[in-house]
Amino acid sequence: MNRRDFLKRIIKSALALLGLSFLLSLIYIYPAKIKKKGMKLVHAFDEEELPRRGVKRVDFSYEYGNRTINTLAFIVMAKEGFIALSPVCSHLGCLVNWDRNKGEFLCPCHGGRYDMEGRVIGGPPPAPLTRLPLEIKEGKVFIGIKV
Amino acid sequence: MGKIFDWIDSRFGVKEPHRRFLQRPLPEKLNYSYCLGGAAFTLFLMSVVTGLLLSIYYVPSETEAYKSVIRINEEVRLGWLVRSTHKWSANLLIIFIILHTIRVFITGSYRPPRELNWIAGVFTFIFAMASGFTGYLLPWDQKAYWATVVGTSMAGTVPFIGNALLYFVRGGPEVNGTTLIRFYSMHVLWIPVMMFIILCAHFHMVKKQGISGGL
Ligand code: HEM
Ligand code: FES
Repeated sequence: MNRRDFLKRIIKSALALLGLSFLLSLIYIYPAKIKKKGMKLVHAFDEEELPRRGVKRVDFSYEYGNRTINTLAFIVMAKEGFIALSPVCSHLGCLVNWDRNKGEFLCPCHGGRYDMEGRVIGGPPPAPLTRLPLEIKEGKVFIGIKV
Repeated sequence: MGKIFDWIDSRFGVKEPHRRFLQRPLPEKLNYSYCLGGAAFTLFLMSVVTGLLLSIYYVPSETEAYKSVIRINEEVRLGWLVRSTHKWSANLLIIFIILHTIRVFITGSYRPPRELNWIAGVFTFIFAMASGFTGYLLPWDQKAYWATVVGTSMAGTVPFIGNALLYFVRGGPEVNGTTLIRFYSMHVLWIPVMMFIILCAHFHMVKKQGISGGL
């Protein structure tokens, strides 16, 4: 093979490689998950465990795909009835704790404070704690989880 | 292939003015070490392309950055491949710039009239290092965060203007979301643009001055 043909072949291989990379890029750009976001009601605990007053932390788990996911929520006996609050701080996502003595949710990370119903009363959080859907059916309590 | 190229080039006209350049005389004793600059350039292009791809999924925010990187690694199809290619090409770029510099040094190609091209080369090296430093923060994990805290704190040791310099690079007294955004902007916009400009100058000079005749 002479030098000219050799170079031509190199250029062609380079172009082929470029084409392949282009195809791979398209695969990469195409969204991997087109599943729509939905809500899933999971059986968290039973009715008799609902707090009679104040706030109660409930730990529960649910199956997602082939994984078991452990999570938690705060159940609050509010004026309008039971509400479930997500423990994820709206600032940077740390998990808040319920402080029984102060009657507030406190965030350990930057001192965010929320009242019993999740409204911000101090610190950096920009929004209240997220309310999770809560349903009581046949003695069972279901909490709505985003999936 | 040739036909398509000829059709385009008969209108675009890039071949004719380059004929003399492509058929220019080269020094007798060329060897593969003269490809090191070209290899560095190839790596630069690879990091640009994979970087553009990463920017499709990466989210430069305090709350989302880390999550989006995990998503690229675990969910996005071929995401791991794109991310690793970006990392490897960036690291190899630094190595190949150094090897290329050694070649230029050994063959004495920095001598007149090529001093300015040596200087341009030094700038490509500075930009490549700056790109590595700013890129390292972007995953926003513990390693990245503390590396940036330590790295930027060096600016604070400069006499007299140390503090002002520190605020300048961090965007405030500490490393936080503001730092992340300015590092992101530097990494994907400012440095690549400056690198592009300096490489144009570098190649322009290689073209004008020709490859040096060796020792
Ligand atoms: C992104 C980094 C760089 C790229 C992509 C690059 C690319 C190139 C290319 C393609 C050439 C043509 C000859 C060859 O490949 O050996 C070249 C020549 C040259 N480079 Fe670089 N280079 C880079 C960094 C540097 C650095 C850090 C220096 C020196 C400190 C430097 C100094 C020179 C000089 C003086 C020449 C002319 C050599 C001659 O005429 O024999 N370059 N560069
Ligand atoms: S994460 Fe809760 S206050 Fe910052």
